[in-house]
Amino acid sequence: MTPLLAARAVRFGYGDVPVLADVTLGLARGELVGLIGPNGCGKTTLVRLLSGVRAPDAGTVLLDGRPLAAFRARERARRLAVVPQDPSVGFGFTALEVVLMGRAPHLGPFGLPGPRDVAVAREAMALLDVAGVAARPLDELSGGERQRVLLARALAQAPDVLLLDEPTTHLDLRHQTGIYDVVHELRRTRGLAVLSVLHDLNLAAAYCDRLVLLAGGRVAADGPPAAVLTPALLESAYGTAVHVAVNALTGGPLVLPRSPARGR
Amino acid sequence: MSVRAPYLTRGRLVATLALLAVLLAVSIAAAVFVGPAPASLARALGPDGASTPDRAILFGTRLPRVLLGAVVGASLSTAGAALQGILGNPLACPHVLGISAGAAVAAAIALVAAGDTMSPLLPLAAFAGALVATAIVGFGARAHGRTTAHAILLFGVVFNAVAAALLMLIEALASYRQVHGILFWMMGTLSTQSWVVVAAVALYAAVGLVWLLRHAHHLNLLAAGDEDAARLGVDVERARLAVFAAAALLTAASVAVAGMIGFVGLVVPHLLRLVLGPDERLLLPASFLAGAAFLVWADALARTVLGPAELPVGVVTALTGGPFFLYLLRRSLARVLP
Amino acid sequence: MTFPPRRPGAVVLVLALAVAGAACGDRLPPAAGGPPARVVSLAPSVTEIVFALGAGDRLVGVCGECDHPPEAARLPRVGGWVVPSVEAVLAARPDVVFAVPSPGNHEAVLALERAGTRVEVVHDRVLADLWDAVRRIAAVLGVPARGEQLGADLARRLDEVHARVAGLPAPRVLVVVGHDPLIVVGGGTLQDELVRLAGGVNVAADAGTAWPALPLEVVVARAPDVIVDAAMGTDAGGRRLFARLTTVPAVRDGRVVALRDDAFLRAGPRVPDAAAELAELLHPGLARTRDAG
Repeated sequence: MTPLLAARAVRFGYGDVPVLADVTLGLARGELVGLIGPNGCGKTTLVRLLSGVRAPDAGTVLLDGRPLAAFRARERARRLAVVPQDPSVGFGFTALEVVLMGRAPHLGPFGLPGPRDVAVAREAMALLDVAGVAARPLDELSGGERQRVLLARALAQAPDVLLLDEPTTHLDLRHQTGIYDVVHELRRTRGLAVLSVLHDLNLAAAYCDRLVLLAGGRVAADGPPAAVLTPALLESAYGTAVHVAVNALTGGPLVLPRSPARGR
Repeated sequence: MSVRAPYLTRGRLVATLALLAVLLAVSIAAAVFVGPAPASLARALGPDGASTPDRAILFGTRLPRVLLGAVVGASLSTAGAALQGILGNPLACPHVLGISAGAAVAAAIALVAAGDTMSPLLPLAAFAGALVATAIVGFGARAHGRTTAHAILLFGVVFNAVAAALLMLIEALASYRQVHGILFWMMGTLSTQSWVVVAAVALYAAVGLVWLLRHAHHLNLLAAGDEDAARLGVDVERARLAVFAAAALLTAASVAVAGMIGFVGLVVPHLLRLVLGPDERLLLPASFLAGAAFLVWADALARTVLGPAELPVGVVTALTGGPFFLYLLRRSLARVLP
Repeated sequence: MTFPPRRPGAVVLVLALAVAGAACGDRLPPAAGGPPARVVSLAPSVTEIVFALGAGDRLVGVCGECDHPPEAARLPRVGGWVVPSVEAVLAARPDVVFAVPSPGNHEAVLALERAGTRVEVVHDRVLADLWDAVRRIAAVLGVPARGEQLGADLARRLDEVHARVAGLPAPRVLVVVGHDPLIVVGGGTLQDELVRLAGGVNVAADAGTAWPALPLEVVVARAPDVIVDAAMGTDAGGRRLFARLTTVPAVRDGRVVALRDDAFLRAGPRVPDAAAELAELLHPGLARTRDAG
């Protein structure tokens, strides 16, 4: 299956500092791929390249077979949505107004939403359990509510591809799994292709169809969770000892960090 | 903050703008009857109205001036709103970025060269000067094909200072009477201009407004940051330059005929932002209408309070707008900082 | 928004003028050492008065705008009326410097006084200033009799102008000194006095300030019979300004006239000439008389 979003031999650095050396990966329709790896290995940078915000120094990013750079911003936004890690929003807008901003790539020249746009926005908010705070200014919401509003905004774009950069940082347990339940559903019902950066390896293992392990600016492993979450790979990538058990609920891998100093 | 629907509905947009439009219409109508010279509408519309001074006063001198005030106020206010939006800075206004300074330098040179304040060279030069200044600031602030808000602001402020120095140089070299002319022009005055001039400024105002309205929702998205806006489909570079250029055009047209009238582009959008919220799709057209009304009243005051002599309207806008702006600033600071 | 930054020291200006004004009245001409031989004039009107007193040969420096009489144009320059050059003045080693307060010269005047130069300040706002200036300059230069004679001559010629128009109907007059913004001659000025002397009525005399800016509607309301255009600029510009005001008698009857002679604007010895010219503009058909003096 041809990937909907693909990176081919991508290289990128900030000035003289290289971050990504040679990254190749693909994301197909209906897939939920987790991007994992230690801090500073370039996960967020890769997301920025995949979303078209920055261009790679070498290599290409393709969306539906076409180079991403060839897309106009508006067209790109209709196909691809991103939920960034630390979003800021204009001061004073309500949650619903923020979600409606996700409809921007679909609006007419003067940017006024029609009834259909409002319906799409409200539906996205309901899906993420933030319908109740629609009328409240975004800056008054909790960190978790804010994150879910921003995910609703991304969904309102009606994209084919969804990129998430650590969407669960501020969320409590209930909402962490809740988000991924929603995303999991959407990839099935709407055929969304989702790439999510994750810190929590077990959450990744539980929900993702595939994992891409990024280490040292390269793809260290790319495959189903059981194949990627092995002690050898994890130890070489993270530089710390791990024990991989079996997740009783899912049957998949369960990663537990080891602590040799404490005899475990 | 006033109670409002969770999002900007078409209904609310239309209702608010209609209200402001009515306010503007009433202001214009009323202002035509305010002035140091006595004039009777009855006599002006009477059978031999053409030979009475009343008709000449009301429709020949006051009406064009009131309408000019309206379009200039609309232009400056909208330009200010747009610049505040694009630069994310509540202190941005048409005069702080060097656009008016460029106009002033060009007008001063034209005045010294033509030797006549009535020369048509002056408004043309002022207009050209404003656009040249815009180009210098716009391209000067560009680095690696990107123009950030921060860069524009910095470049504009420095350009302003350089233009001020140039202006002082011209004044130092010019004769006393030329200098007096330059200074007075710069204080910002509305005068009776021909209907052609009023129509021309109105045209620029309308074009500028429509141009800006097409980018209004981009400004909303840009409030979240360049990257977020890009992700939502905004061509950030294009949007920023388009808004800057539209604001410059509006400013150029106004400054060319009326000099530097300050505070309209600063206070009106700021006040509206506090009352109407941050949505630029509402703020831009609202600034247009409210700015027009503000300047119409300021000019009515300017030509009446010292009667028969008049004050430069820039003095009135500064003395009414300035303290009020300080008050607004205090209020919004109190709200933002806990 | 203030742009450009205004010059500081407005208070200093007022105080300096007050001090200079207070000091002026009490200064005595030098008793010993004879009358000043080297004179610097920092104002065009003063230069003309000095020449009219027959002391033009004593001038060793004049301001840049001093263009009358023609001999003055050949004298060394010491800066402008607005901002004279202290160094140039000192280099001319004057025995006395005559100055008229200008928007920028108070600091120069103070600097010259601190340097030990004798500075005499005269004024040019109203006709009384002209008599005072003639008398004092003559006294300082040691030619008081000549000053008396000049003063009497000027007064006589002005009276002649006034006599010629006495009894004639007084037209309503607006004197314009700036087109855009429209700045006119108000009350309490030399030009206002000349208008009255020339047999006219200044419609802007009640405006409250010496040089008020007027909205165009006031011109329509006051309906002057004659508009005198003394503004810097072209005749075409002036006419264009008033063209549409067809109800104003001056426009209707084609009596928007130019008076660009700077004699009208200087409190100097050519004031009677300016008054005569103005009288002829205000009263067409008035026979031209030759200047006797």
